[in-house]
Amino acid sequence: MRRRMSLSVAVCLFGFLALSPAVSFSAEQPIVIGVPSSLKMLESSEALKAIIMAAEEINAKGGVKLGGTNRPLKVASIDTRGGEPGVPISDALLAIEKLFLEQKPDAVVLGPFRSEVLLAAMDLYSKYKMVSINVAMTPKFIEKYNTDPEKYKYCFRMLNAKYVVGYLMKTMSKLNKDYGFNKVYIVVQDVLWATAIGNGMKGWFEKSGWQVAGMDAYPTGASDFSSSLLKAQKAGAQVLMPIFDMASSGTLALQWKDMRVPAVPVGFISPLMGSKSAETFGNDVVEGVVNIAFQAGNVPLAKYPPATDFFNAYKKRWGQELQAGHMPSEAYDSVFVMAGAMEKANSLDPEKLIKAIEEADYNGSIGRIRFKNHEIVFGEDPAETAILVVYQWKNGKRVPVFPDIVAEGPIDKPNWMK
Amino acid sequence: MLVYGFINSIILALIALGFSMTFGISRVANFAHGSLYVLGGLLTWFFLIKAGLPYVISVIAAVMIVGVLGAAMYRFLLVRLRGLELAEVISTFALGLIILELMRSMGIMGFQYRLPPFVPGSVSIMGTYVGIQRLIIVGAGLFLMGIIYLFVHHTRLGLAFRGVAQDDHTALTVGINPDRISMLSLMVGSMLVSLSAVLILPLGTISVDDGYDILLKSLAVCIIGGLESTFGVLAAAFILGYAEVLTSMYISSSLSMVVPLLCMLVILLIKPSGLFGKHKELEERI
Repeated sequence: MRRRMSLSVAVCLFGFLALSPAVSFSAEQPIVIGVPSSLKMLESSEALKAIIMAAEEINAKGGVKLGGTNRPLKVASIDTRGGEPGVPISDALLAIEKLFLEQKPDAVVLGPFRSEVLLAAMDLYSKYKMVSINVAMTPKFIEKYNTDPEKYKYCFRMLNAKYVVGYLMKTMSKLNKDYGFNKVYIVVQDVLWATAIGNGMKGWFEKSGWQVAGMDAYPTGASDFSSSLLKAQKAGAQVLMPIFDMASSGTLALQWKDMRVPAVPVGFISPLMGSKSAETFGNDVVEGVVNIAFQAGNVPLAKYPPATDFFNAYKKRWGQELQAGHMPSEAYDSVFVMAGAMEKANSLDPEKLIKAIEEADYNGSIGRIRFKNHEIVFGEDPAETAILVVYQWKNGKRVPVFPDIVAEGPIDKPNWMK
Repeated sequence: MLVYGFINSIILALIALGFSMTFGISRVANFAHGSLYVLGGLLTWFFLIKAGLPYVISVIAAVMIVGVLGAAMYRFLLVRLRGLELAEVISTFALGLIILELMRSMGIMGFQYRLPPFVPGSVSIMGTYVGIQRLIIVGAGLFLMGIIYLFVHHTRLGLAFRGVAQDDHTALTVGINPDRISMLSLMVGSMLVSLSAVLILPLGTISVDDGYDILLKSLAVCIIGGLESTFGVLAAAFILGYAEVLTSMYISSSLSMVVPLLCMLVILLIKPSGLFGKHKELEERI
């Protein structure tokens, strides 16, 4: 009797487990999404969380439909440390190769943090036929891709620095038109993506009737910017254009405030990007600063709900708001693009996957995602293309000011300039 | 430029003071110096922001903890390696790496780790606005150097420090325990670097990477000035402080961090003991 009861319980249990989606799911071999990046940087660490979040959402809906089965996504990451000062590119490449050999990912998202590492890693992607959607921004990516599209066809990219230049041009044009600003001082971090933006803007300023009072590049880790600020002040620059993603660039903002340099910072300065910046640095430091988030979603947008949905979902999942202005939302979307491409190709075969990504058309948190020449197309309407967001700190809040379609206010002249 | 060159020089001197003092007395090159700087700043941040303690209490607690860590480093690690210079360097560097990488793996990244300035705002000096925190650094730096001078020259313990620095065997014959003094020198050096962190870090944010940068700058200042010379530290800090600002102003800001290393190499080539150091004087004469 007891034996029969035990058998009945076992049969019921087996039946329950067999019918449960989790178990039928786990029977399938997971699709491994590789994330080789410098994961102890704010941007990439938050991007990894966004990737995990995307994988969880896809898995919760049954995973990736492939060959008649639902396969879950599994995220396999490695900290390449490539974004940290002093870490050689070769070390970062070794870490990427280690991930490829040990975890055997089916595809890669996020990719190297620094452009310098991405350029070198493109050959690794080709060697291992690893389809990847990367985030590092240097325009040299596309130059290298164009040298041998067949070899580098495995590499896709979410943002080209040229779009940042385009957005900054339009922002500066607004400042010129609205307030007559025409003198700028450029300070950039001495890394590929930042100098590319700095040089791109310098060329545009000179052609557009602006006076470039100077341009300085600071090595990663620099913590005194007084010489540039003094020169900017002496030259009477009305705009200070910083392009930095290093931690010590917070000093630049504080020094700018302390030295009372009468120029509005307009550019990309990581420490003043996140929602906690006003609390960390003080309202008086951030007030009036114009910053550019490299994608929608990293900043919530009232006029583009998918961006706000992602921002809020991140906060709900991880218990705190994301603070980076670059990487998390695009990394999140890139998982959906990759999963969608796998389903469309109905295969993990790199050749089929490449074709599917080339044809991808996905509405994500950063806008509509489509690739042209292996890079996402950016514009100013999220219904048509992916977008960046220029915002200004006003009364301790980040107010989107460009593109116009998502703007919630104009660019104000800071009170201390009036 | 003059004003900021001066401030940067005092900042460099503050950073290097603890390293120089420790080496001058115990002959231990403490390569964990940079990590103790970051640790001091982070502990202060934790006590102040997370635990909600008053600023002064937070600073005292952080400086004491780092000081005890420095003493423990000598008592439990370095005492066994005394005289083995390479082993001392490797072990302190390893310890520094462990501290920094532990902080990194604990998720110390981002920009929210910031100490507020003691007094916000700025004042005009010679037509240039300077943050009050920077002026506090200058005042505190000069005060600390004065205190150290008085301590070393006019207190029993300070004289014992000098005795061990001159010759630990002779010091032993007059009842001074070189191991105890060396341990105390590590403690004082660690306390000094954590105090410098508390003073300097309100100028920016706390970053784990600062640890490597601080070590490099301390080494550059001490090697140029002479590893065990406090006056040399001050002189070298002024050379480097102004060299950095001048390079950034008139040559290229991208070279501003190369200058200290270049100066270090040149001094090593010309005078290996540094401008005011006596460490290798005999070998140089030979």
